[in-house]
Amino acid sequence: METLNVKHASAMPAPTWSWLRMNDTTIEIPCDLARDGSVTVEADEALTETHASFERALVELQERLDAVRGDAADERACVRAAQRTEEHLDDLDTPALSAYQRRATLEEVACDVAAAFETGVHVDVRSYLNFLAGSTAVLATEEGEDAAATVRVAGCAGSAAGASVDVVAAPRSTVDLVISLDGDADGRDAAGLIGSELRVFAGADARVNVTVYITADASFTVIDDAGYVLDEGARVNVRHIVLGGGRTYTGLASDLRGDTARMDIDTRYLASGAEQRDFNYVIRHRGKKTISNMDANGVLTGTSKKVLRGTIDLIHGCKGSEGSERETVLLANRGVDNKTVPTILCDEDDVAGNHGATIGHVRPEQLFYLGCRGLSQEAAEALFVTAKLEDAALGAPDEQIRANVVRLGSALVDDFADFEEEIA
Amino acid sequence: MSTEALLSVNNLTASVDEKTILHHVDLSVSAGETHVLMGPNGAGKSTMGHVIMGDPVYTVNEGTISFDGADITDLSCDKRSRAGLFLSFQAPVEIPGVPLSSFLRASIAGRPGLEMRGKEFRRRVKELAAQLDMDTAYLNRELGVGFSGGEKKKVEMLQLLLLQPKLAILDETDSGLDVDALSVVSRGMDAYRASCDGSLVIITHNTRILEHLTVDRVHVMVDGRIVREDDASLIPWIDEHGFESFEREAADAAAAR
Amino acid sequence: MAKQRTEVADIDRSLYDFKDSEEGFERLDAGLTPEIVTEISQRKDEPDWMLEFRLKSLEIYHRMPNPTWGPSIAGLDMDHIVTYVKPNTDQKADWDSVPDDIKNTFERLGIPEAERSYLAGVGAQYDSELVYHNMQDTASKMGIVYSGIEEALHEPRWEALIREKFMTLIPPTDHKFAALHGAVWSGGSFVYVPKGVKLDFPLQSYFRLNAAGAGQFEHTLIIVEDDADLHFIEGCSAPKYNVANLHAGAVELFVGKRAHLRYSTIENWSKNMYNLNTKRARCDEEGEIEWISGSFGSHVGYLYPMSVLAGRKSKSSFTGITFAGAGQNLDTGCKVVLGAPETTATVETKGISKGGGIQTFRSSIVATPAAEGSAATVSCQSLMLDDESRSDTIPSMDIRAKNVDIGHEATIGRIGDDKIFYLMSRGISEEEARTMIVNGFANPVSKELPLEYAVEMNNLIKLEMEGAIG
Repeated sequence: METLNVKHASAMPAPTWSWLRMNDTTIEIPCDLARDGSVTVEADEALTETHASFERALVELQERLDAVRGDAADERACVRAAQRTEEHLDDLDTPALSAYQRRATLEEVACDVAAAFETGVHVDVRSYLNFLAGSTAVLATEEGEDAAATVRVAGCAGSAAGASVDVVAAPRSTVDLVISLDGDADGRDAAGLIGSELRVFAGADARVNVTVYITADASFTVIDDAGYVLDEGARVNVRHIVLGGGRTYTGLASDLRGDTARMDIDTRYLASGAEQRDFNYVIRHRGKKTISNMDANGVLTGTSKKVLRGTIDLIHGCKGSEGSERETVLLANRGVDNKTVPTILCDEDDVAGNHGATIGHVRPEQLFYLGCRGLSQEAAEALFVTAKLEDAALGAPDEQIRANVVRLGSALVDDFADFEEEIA
Repeated sequence: MSTEALLSVNNLTASVDEKTILHHVDLSVSAGETHVLMGPNGAGKSTMGHVIMGDPVYTVNEGTISFDGADITDLSCDKRSRAGLFLSFQAPVEIPGVPLSSFLRASIAGRPGLEMRGKEFRRRVKELAAQLDMDTAYLNRELGVGFSGGEKKKVEMLQLLLLQPKLAILDETDSGLDVDALSVVSRGMDAYRASCDGSLVIITHNTRILEHLTVDRVHVMVDGRIVREDDASLIPWIDEHGFESFEREAADAAAAR
Repeated sequence: MAKQRTEVADIDRSLYDFKDSEEGFERLDAGLTPEIVTEISQRKDEPDWMLEFRLKSLEIYHRMPNPTWGPSIAGLDMDHIVTYVKPNTDQKADWDSVPDDIKNTFERLGIPEAERSYLAGVGAQYDSELVYHNMQDTASKMGIVYSGIEEALHEPRWEALIREKFMTLIPPTDHKFAALHGAVWSGGSFVYVPKGVKLDFPLQSYFRLNAAGAGQFEHTLIIVEDDADLHFIEGCSAPKYNVANLHAGAVELFVGKRAHLRYSTIENWSKNMYNLNTKRARCDEEGEIEWISGSFGSHVGYLYPMSVLAGRKSKSSFTGITFAGAGQNLDTGCKVVLGAPETTATVETKGISKGGGIQTFRSSIVATPAAEGSAATVSCQSLMLDDESRSDTIPSMDIRAKNVDIGHEATIGRIGDDKIFYLMSRGISEEEARTMIVNGFANPVSKELPLEYAVEMNNLIKLEMEGAIG
C-alpha cells in the first residue's frame, strides 16, 4: 500500500538523542483512501451564527499585548547568543545555544502570537485534515454565554474523514465541546483514517471544556491535532480518552499567553493487540501565574507500543507559574513498549515545574488490597484493562459515544456487554 | 464452642525488614465466634491481621496458619480470600481509573455461589448499599479516590457483605475516633453476623465499637506477644484500667528474658 | 610543602611536533588526515591493530554528523581540528599564557602557589609524582596494575587484554567525538584489579595525569575482576586549564561479578573548553557501579556517564551535580540500560544555573525485555538562581519489560524567599544565606566525595556564588 508520509510529526520541542527514536514520529497516510465517511457538527444555534474568527481573536490579543509591552533592550546572555550570526570563543560570556534554545529565545523576543501558534501534531497534518474536512466550522460564543457542541467523525473502512473546528470563546463565556472519533471497521480489514483539527481561542475568563473520545477499531489511523491559545484568566479542561485505533496520534499545543490562564489535561488510554499510541503535549507558559496540569493514566497490553512526549515550557516572563505533569502506566503484558519523555524547559526563576512518572506493574499496596479481595496478579491486570473501558463508558458524554465504547469493549473483553445493563 | 477451630494460628513469628514484629503468637477462632484483639498502639495488632491475610511485606519466620482445615501459611492473599478469609482495611487503597463497580465485579468473579450476571449483581449491590446507607453514585466513582472517611468504611463493609467470608478480620484501630465510621462498622458487623453467621476478629484499642456485640474471647497483645486471653469480662476491666498493667508486666518479662 | 619547580615543565613536545612532515601541508588542508593519525600511532610505537583501529575510527569520524540536539559547537573550529590534536605545537605553554581568571581562582580556592602551575597544565610538580608513585607501589603489592595505558599497551601481558576491551563499550560509531577519540586518543590510565582484591584507598588519576602531562584525548580503561573492589577518582575541583579547547576523552569501566567500582569525578575545565567526554561502565552479575559526578567549568559540556547492566542483579547508582554559570551551556546527565533480570538503578542529580548560564539534565533509562523484575528511580532537581539563566530537564524512558518499577521525579524552581528571609532574620547576609542553601542543595553529591574534594567543591560553589570566577 502506498502511503503519504508526514515526517517529524508530533515532535517534541527540545529533542534528545535520536537513537531513542522518541523525538518525533512518522505518520503514514494511505494514499488510496476515498474522501468519505460522516462528519457531523451538532451545536447550539447561537454558536454557529457568528462573524468571529480565530485569526481575528489572535490579532486582537496581539494588539493588547503590544500595547503593554515595554521597549527596553533585552540584554540577556541568551538573547545575545541567539541574535549573533557567528560564534567565537573569545566571547566566553555568551553561551553556545542548542538549536532549540536559539529558536525558543528568538520566538520569545518576537512576541508574535500568530507566528508562535502551533498544534501538537504537525502543520502538514493540519493542512491534510483541513482538506479532508472541506471547510472549518467556527463555533463562537457571545460574552458571558454558555454553549455546547458535539462533533462526530464516523470513519468507515477504505476511506478518510476529518473534521476541522475553530472555537472562539468570548470573555466570560463557557464552551463545552465533545469530539467523537469513531471508526467501525464492520468486519472489513481495509485501512481507514479519521481525524480532527481543532483550534481554540479561550478569551478572558472564558471556560472551555473539550472531551475527545477515540473509539476506532484497529484498522484505523486516528489523528487528533489541536492548538490552544488562552487569554487572561481563561480555563481550559481537556479530556482525552483513547481506547482504540491501530495507530493514534494525539497532539496538543497550548499557549498560556494571558496571565493566570490555566490548562488541565486528563488523558486516559488503552492500547491492545499491536496498536500504537502517540501523544505529544506542549504547554507554553507565557503569562504570569499560569498553571498547567497534565495527568495521563494508561494500560498497555498485547504487543502494543506507546510514546508520550509531555513538555512544560516555562518561558521568560511567566513569573509565578506552575506546571506539573504526571503519568502512570501499567504494562500488563510481556512484549509491550512504553516510551515516555516528560520534559521541563525553564527560562524563568520564579516558577515551579515538576513531573513524575510511574511505569510498571500494579503497585504493591494495590496488589495486596486486590489480593485480599481474591484477585491474583493476572486478575488485577485484567481488571485494569476492563476498568479503563468501563470507566470510559461511565464517563461518556452521550449515549452514542457510550455505544461506541461498548462496541469496542465487547470486542476486547469477554462479557463486556453485560456491563451495558449496569449503566443507569 | 466447637472443637475444630476455623482459624488456627500456631506459634507465629513474623518480621519486616529483618525486624521481628510478632513473637510466637497463638490464636484460635471457631466458626461463628467473635474475638477481639486489643492492645496499645504499636503492639502489632494490625500486623497480625496483615500476616494472617498474607501481606507479602511481612515474612513468616516460624509457625503456621491454618484455615478451614488447610494450612494456608504459604498461600498468596488472593487464594486466602477465595478460601473465605477477609481483612477490612482502615480505608480502601486508592486505585485511580478503576470504578468501584468494576472492582466489585472482579472480586466476585469465579467465586462459586457468588458470581452474578449483570442485572443480578446490580440489584444485589444496590440492596447492600441501601443497607449501609450508601449513595449508589459511588459505584461509578474511582475506587477510594476522594472518598470521605465514612464512605471509605462503607466501601469496606459493602465488600464484607458482598463476599460473605467465613471469617472476617476487621482492622478498626482508628475507627474509634470517627463517630460516622463507627456506626457504619457496627451496622456492617450486625448485617454480616445476621446474614451468614461468620466468625469475626475485631482489631481495636477502643471498646466503644464492641458495645452491642456479644464477644466470645478477648486477646491482649503487647510488643508483638499475646499477653492475656480471657472472656468478654475483660473488656470493662480494660475500659477502666487501660493497658498499663499489661505493658508493665510485658516490660518485666522482657527484662527477665 | 614539597619544593616547587620554577621552570616550565619539559613536556615531550617532540611527540606532537609534526612540523617536518607537515611542511607546505597545513596551508592546503588543515583537516585530520590518515597521515597524521598514522604519525601519532608511529610515534607511540603502537601495535598494528591499534593503528588500524585509529584509521577506521578516522573514517567514521569523517562520515558522522555533529550532534543536533545539544549545545552548539560552532565555536569549535573543526576544520582545523588538527590544532586540537596536537595542542602544544604553536601555543606557548607557560604561566604567562594562563588567563587571569584562572590564576585568580587558584588564589581564591586557597591552592598553594606551588601547585598552581601544574594545575594550569603548564608545569609538573614533584609532590604530584611522588604521590602517584606511592599509590602505584602500594597497589602493585596487592597485584593491582595502575599505569599509563600507553605503557600498558607495550607490555605483552596487557596488550591482549586491552585489545579485547578497548573501545568495545564506546565504539567509534557511537558518536562523532567517540570516533575522533578512537582516531587520536593519547594518554590516560589503565587499571587492572585482579579477582577478589579489594583496595581500601582510592586511586587518583589526577596525580597520574599531572605527573605524566595531561592530555585532552585521554583514554581510561579500568577492569575490576570478579569480587574485587575499587574506588577511582578522576579530576579535581581546581579548574583544569588547557590551551586547546576541545576535550574528548573516553572512560571504559568493566565491573566483574559481585565486583564494585566507584568512579568519582569533579570535572572543572577552564571556561574556554568544549568538553565532549564519554564514559561508560558494564556490570556483570551482581556487579555494582557507582558514579559520583560533578560538572563545573567548560564553555560547552556534553557528559552522560552510561551504565550497562548486563548481568542479573547488577546495580548502578549515579549521583551528580552540574553548575552552569555565565557563558556556560552544560548538557549533562546519565544513561542506564537495564539489560538483565532484577537489575536496579538510581539516578539523583542536582542542577544549578546562574548568571545567564544554561544547564540541561538529559537522561535515558532503557529496560530491555530481559529486564524483568528490575527497578529504576530517577530524581532530578534544578535550581534557578536568577531569571536570566536557563534550566532544561529532558529525561526519557523506554521500558519494554514486564514487572518492572520505573519511577521518575523532577522539580524545578528557585530558592524560596521564606528560606532566605529566615536565615537573614538570624543575622546572616543574603549572599551567605544563598550560598548556604546552594551548598545544602549540593550536599547529596559532596557527602559522597572524599573530604578534601568535598571541601574543594564547596569552596568552588562559594566562588561561583560570588560570581568571582569569570
